[in-house]
Amino acid sequence: MKYAFYPGCAVHSSSKEYGDSCKAISRVLDVELVEIPDWNCCGAVDAIYSYKPLYSVALDARNLSLAERMGMDIVTLCSACYYTLSRTNKLLREDSGLKNKVEEALSSAGLNYNGGVKVRHFLEVLLSDVGLEKIGEKVKIPLTTLNVASYYGCFLVRPPDLISFDDSEHPTSLDELVEALGASKVEYYGKIRCCGASLGITDEEVMLELSKNILLNARDAGANCMITACPLCHFNLDAKQKDIGLKFDLEIDLPVLHFTQLIGLAFGIEPKELGLHKICVSPKKILPQYVRSVA
Amino acid sequence: MQHNVPHEKDEPSEGMKLVASLTSKGDRSSFVKEVMKMLGGENILDCIQCGLCAGSCPTRFAMDYSPMQIIKMMHLGMREKVLSSSTIWVCSTCYTCYTRCPRAINLTTLMMSLRNLAIKENLVDKNGVKPKFHRSFFEIVNKYGRLHEPELFTRILKKSDLRSLFHNAALGWRLWRKGKLQIRAPKIEQSNDLFNILEKTSEEES
Repeated sequence: MKYAFYPGCAVHSSSKEYGDSCKAISRVLDVELVEIPDWNCCGAVDAIYSYKPLYSVALDARNLSLAERMGMDIVTLCSACYYTLSRTNKLLREDSGLKNKVEEALSSAGLNYNGGVKVRHFLEVLLSDVGLEKIGEKVKIPLTTLNVASYYGCFLVRPPDLISFDDSEHPTSLDELVEALGASKVEYYGKIRCCGASLGITDEEVMLELSKNILLNARDAGANCMITACPLCHFNLDAKQKDIGLKFDLEIDLPVLHFTQLIGLAFGIEPKELGLHKICVSPKKILPQYVRSVA
Repeated sequence: MQHNVPHEKDEPSEGMKLVASLTSKGDRSSFVKEVMKMLGGENILDCIQCGLCAGSCPTRFAMDYSPMQIIKMMHLGMREKVLSSSTIWVCSTCYTCYTRCPRAINLTTLMMSLRNLAIKENLVDKNGVKPKFHRSFFEIVNKYGRLHEPELFTRILKKSDLRSLFHNAALGWRLWRKGKLQIRAPKIEQSNDLFNILEKTSEEES
């Protein structure tokens, strides 16, 4: 299993541990991720699109074109990149006028794209191509002490005409994964509510309110940790958890891991290699006894 | 059988007076036509005002008009009110409204298109945080090929707001201690590709 890996900007900066843990579990599962040479930012949903839509689509088409040269499908870790790359693919397929303009822009950079690349999220690859059975076989330390609230957020499950590997309203993929690792899943309505995304930069009060509701909902439903599948969701729920506590006078103290870190823990991979020390709300107290003694 | 349709010679209702005073028929149809050409706005006339979008919207509490009202306002040709509303900027583009809309109106994508139009037409304060975010994001990515997070933060930060400066410095410190702050800017090798793409697409987007 070989894929063109598109890490996305956050995985190279504020979410390095997401990429590190992804690589660590990929080795165990025989998944080969070849980073797309010289990839560029996808445009981040609306960040560039709202300012220069055509440029944003063309920018993204450059990534698709580079992956097409490699002859592999794109796999990304970031839900926002997953959505944005998928959208570009769809727009180029359906809008011939736009396609012509983008082709012209690409050719000015000596590139072309024939529409032959599929865009996939790493979670989808794990579930569809690797399979839960194989993942279950690799579990060395069943995570029986963990009650995990899986957070899906937005672009992992929406919009359904673009992203359809899981249900938009009642997604279960992460929960199935949690159970395959020996942990218990936690049901809570906040799992598909928006964390506030980039409003964290432009409208922080709104973002803090949204993320607070999700964290409290997960905790009240009995979770002792959460997992995410997007660096931005993770940033808002983990790195900003302190700000949420300060604003609302709360002590939430709910560790939030990248889902790849949870898999790595169950596989018996060293916590350091998984970058657990980079999580802002320390997950030490919830780690299984065996792992804690190593960490 | 009795109908509640007012007869031509009847006085127009209060509601009708309000609508009529806002926009002329010509304005209404021209704005609807304009929106229907935008990405996401293709079928706004299919809206039945059921309110699922407004009820599902996670950021409704911070908007001046609900997503449902924005659609109605587009029907009524209230171009400037729509484009200068806080709604189009507070939308977090979570796609819940589109997912649930029984008439498959892609309001989320339309919000992005409306932002673009509002920026183009100067209907939003150029120095406000929102347009600054989009412009800075674009400039940073066009320069390096990738996002440089600290630069985005420092560009948007209001230097006069001490509380916000202190708050963000604390966040920066927290991230730095965890090795999550990338001080050095990234740079792709073929950054000329992006300049060429910009040059080509600019002819279209000016």
